[in-house]
Amino acid sequence: MAETEAPLVEMRNIQKYYGRVHALRDVNLRIKRGEIVGLLGDNGAGKSTLIKVLSGAVPYTSGQIFINGQEVNLRSTNDAIAAGIETIYQDSALIPQLSIARNLFLGRELRKGPGFMDRLDLDRMNEVAASLLKRVGISKKIPPTTAIGSLSGGERQAVAIARAMYFDSDLIILDEPTNNLGVAETQGVLRFVREARDTGHSCIFIAHNIHHVFQVVDRMVVMRRGAVVADDLSPRTSSIQDVEDIITGEHAA
Amino acid sequence: MTEPSPTLAPPEHASGAGFTRTLINKPEVGPLVLLVVMLVVFTAINPAFISITNIGNALTFTVELGLIALAMTLLMTAGEFDLSVGSVFGFAPVVMWTLFNEAALPLSVAFLVAILVALLIGLINGLFVTRMRIPSFLVTLGMLLVVRGTALWLTDGFPQRTWKADDQWLSGVLVGEFHVGSLRLYMSLIWFILLAVMFHYILTRTRFGNWIQATGGNPIAARNRGVPTGRVKTILFMLSAAMAAFAGIISSIRVSAANPNSGTGYELEVIAMVVIGGTALAGGRGTIIGTVLGVLILRLMRNGIVLIGVPGLAYNIFIGAIILGMMALHAALERRHNAGD
Repeated sequence: MAETEAPLVEMRNIQKYYGRVHALRDVNLRIKRGEIVGLLGDNGAGKSTLIKVLSGAVPYTSGQIFINGQEVNLRSTNDAIAAGIETIYQDSALIPQLSIARNLFLGRELRKGPGFMDRLDLDRMNEVAASLLKRVGISKKIPPTTAIGSLSGGERQAVAIARAMYFDSDLIILDEPTNNLGVAETQGVLRFVREARDTGHSCIFIAHNIHHVFQVVDRMVVMRRGAVVADDLSPRTSSIQDVEDIITGEHAA
Repeated sequence: MTEPSPTLAPPEHASGAGFTRTLINKPEVGPLVLLVVMLVVFTAINPAFISITNIGNALTFTVELGLIALAMTLLMTAGEFDLSVGSVFGFAPVVMWTLFNEAALPLSVAFLVAILVALLIGLINGLFVTRMRIPSFLVTLGMLLVVRGTALWLTDGFPQRTWKADDQWLSGVLVGEFHVGSLRLYMSLIWFILLAVMFHYILTRTRFGNWIQATGGNPIAARNRGVPTGRVKTILFMLSAAMAAFAGIISSIRVSAANPNSGTGYELEVIAMVVIGGTALAGGRGTIIGTVLGVLILRLMRNGIVLIGVPGLAYNIFIGAIILGMMALHAALERRHNAGD
């Protein structure tokens, strides 16, 4: 990668206090275009706080965020979505009662007719959803009008990731996407993540299962007690044991 | 065995749990069956049940609670409910007729003021629930007492005179009588039908309807997608209060009295109508068609029980039994649904 090219996302000196708790300590993070970054750390290390800051869900105390070299001010999840950052939280990405198509377009519904009628263009939404489902390899037997509640965990993750890809998000943040999934479904999700990278999306992949992370990421970032303690670990040069030691702080550094 | 495409857990969508699946996907089927059974049983016992006069009478009372139930359906689909509707039902006409009688405002202006006051009540409910994160049960219970208390205090507990209403165009528009053959109907029925169609359209065909269902189904996910869940709920609280006021005003014109005590207990009856119709109490799923059925079930039950000679005081036993029965049905369907995941 050319050093001169501005990274897709750059977080500089991010500090976050929850009252007197120092949740993020001077965090610096760069994500390049088309890169899958694994974000690792023990419970309470600050991973989810960092993600919430980047997805606009939580305001940061100080620091700067740049996207494509431009400084941005993320005050809400809408700001982040508009800036091309899509976050897929575990279990809270989809509405179980709504259909696949309605979920795919939630918040960005297609409409037709005069504005005051506020009318959904359900035909087109279903059409787009059906072709998207086919493209990402979810069974053709599932019509786009199926409620999310009757899909399996893996199918739900696939729908959520497909949504991020369809809306051309530059950066897809996956929070524990393989939690509670079976072996086959996990492989499906990992395949999906690689596909997202191959089509030019960057990913931040958060998982407790280091084996899953190793299978898919280009680079790993480890956090401990609110600070980034390593950000250049490669699955090719580091072993799982090395990474685990860094996470728990048992390495001599 | 290796599966060719790993994301595909074998879907059982095609599997033939046909009838159960229909029942789950169409929560209106249960109440529809119940309504038909009721009609048949009541008519078999007393044929007068199906007479023109009786139907006309039953429909008249039906729509006033029904108007509130329509708005409550949307609110409950978004995951909240409103216990203050009964008190607003009593309060709004008191406001309107007091302004008309004492301040000598034109009736139409007094009507608008009453609706605006209701919208303000709804706004306060909505802000308490969404901004201060207080459960709607507590907020609207408090509001019930405040509004009912205000109505009693304003009127010293006495009904307001309304009987100069006959020559008012507004009363004609709202509750004027008309006849279809020998069936005597009120304009309020037309309003109910129009609004039911409109609410059904909003819930199922509009972006706002999508947002209502998302807000009740998974509020965190909805917010992550940029749905303004707080604003959705606040609008629905305002709608619920406005519809309660509208229903109360219609009722006051029809019975020629604005009684500060009227509407007492309506909140629970309305919520019963909505849940019997198949709307989930926990939010996320709602049906206007089901609510219309629920409204008819409870009202025709009240009417039919008297006609077949059951003491009117026993009415609540039947209503309670219907609620329990329908809830058991919906819960059983829901469980089978989830077990099939």
